[in-house]
Amino acid sequence: MTLAVETQGLRYQPGKSFALADLSLHVPEGAIYGFLGPNGAGKTTTLRLLLGLLRPQGGTIRILGRAMPGEYVDVLARTGYVPERPHLDPTLSVAESMELHAAFHRRWDAAWATTLQQQFRLRGDARVGALSKGETGKLMMLLALAQQPELLVLDEPTDGLDPVVRRDVLEAVLEYVSERRATVLISSHLVHELERICDWVGVLDRGRLVAEMPMEDFKNGIKRLLVRDAPSALDGAPFTLLTRKDVPGVGEQWLVRGWAPGMREFLEGVGATVTDVVDLDLEDGFVEMLRSFRDNG
Amino acid sequence: MFRMILKTQWKWARIAVLAGVVGAFAVPMFSFASARDAVSPRAFIDAMQGWGAAYGFLAGVLGLLVAMSAWSSDYRGRHVYALSLPIERWRYVLLRFGAGVVCLIPPVIALGVSAVLVTSTHALPDGLHGYPVALTIRFALAALVAFALFFAASSATSRAAAAVLGLIAVLVVAEILTDSAGLDVGILDHVGRFVFVSPGLLSVFTGRWMLIDV
Repeated sequence: MTLAVETQGLRYQPGKSFALADLSLHVPEGAIYGFLGPNGAGKTTTLRLLLGLLRPQGGTIRILGRAMPGEYVDVLARTGYVPERPHLDPTLSVAESMELHAAFHRRWDAAWATTLQQQFRLRGDARVGALSKGETGKLMMLLALAQQPELLVLDEPTDGLDPVVRRDVLEAVLEYVSERRATVLISSHLVHELERICDWVGVLDRGRLVAEMPMEDFKNGIKRLLVRDAPSALDGAPFTLLTRKDVPGVGEQWLVRGWAPGMREFLEGVGATVTDVVDLDLEDGFVEMLRSFRDNG
Repeated sequence: MFRMILKTQWKWARIAVLAGVVGAFAVPMFSFASARDAVSPRAFIDAMQGWGAAYGFLAGVLGLLVAMSAWSSDYRGRHVYALSLPIERWRYVLLRFGAGVVCLIPPVIALGVSAVLVTSTHALPDGLHGYPVALTIRFALAALVAFALFFAASSATSRAAAAVLGLIAVLVVAEILTDSAGLDVGILDHVGRFVFVSPGLLSVFTGRWMLIDV
């Protein structure tokens, strides 16, 4: 598997209250990778480190086969970035912003930029500072897409946008990815949004990577079990026990990852009985995963 | 690339530049008008010299405003846009610097034109000569020095700015302490001479700014 983004042991501590610790991310080439985490988990900091906007204090970063931050010029020429907060000059018009961006990107596709501008209904003479939040989001996406990147890094690109604009923006991304086989790294705390479009997911909490797996595994593998006569220790289990707690009169409630139907027999083999298996939706799975991660320190 | 950077710089600084053009054109005219009725060459020179500080002031303010406008947009966006561009950072800074320098040219030309007009269309008192080119070059240099200083200061981190302010504070405290101890060291005097007297960094602003002199 070729990786578009790879970090090993990435460390960054801007102050005393927050630190990215030993972060190892693996974003496969051509994947739409959802970078999930609650607010303040370190998603934006991680993306800024990946793009060379911040300098890591330890570890290595490779983007599109290049070492970062050393080779940032080549990497940024092949990467489209939509930051969390608008970063464009509010005094320029939409057309001037496009002109400025085009001047720095050799692969700028002017025809497609115009098509996107019409599709997004952005007036060329409108001042960036006078655009609505949705229009600003569309403009930032337009700039990132029209430079024809191999990698799109989107930091909460739809946060605060209305459903119509959100759909417009995500459709444009999906259309681009399907045509150009680009890799997308998209951060969000909106689990359901990523569920629809991502094929890989990484979960970050308090600066540490909690999990990284294909979306299918994430969606299907996390279950809540009700277990009677549960053993105190569980050696050699074919699944990962994330949390367990007593439920009076029933037994124990377990949260497990990597569950498959045939695994009931394993539990029966250690004297336990599974009385119920509950599918968790992605958001529940995400919440439970974070909860178990925090409980385990 | 430079054309677009220049276009944005012009958009941000045009009011300051246009005001600079008007000011730079007006100062030689006003200085001559204030001196034309002088009864002697000495009085003529004194009257001209009264306007001398205006050149340095204008150059300093012009440099400050153009330098501030060079970074204001990047500041607003917390530098994220500039840092995400595929260009070496030193090159980006040079482009911004170059665009700012180009914006200083119109006021310099305005001052040069005005100075040439004044000295070539009026009879000068006996024994006095016009120095329009020298004055224009000096004005250009002063504007460039001011722009470069403020450009560096406004692009610096708050830590660097704090270090400079800290150094100034240390010098002032040292002056007060040596003074109160009865030591005639004159630290600020030395620093002032080092900075403002030729060949000091800011010496271009001090001394006589004369369009017409002996």
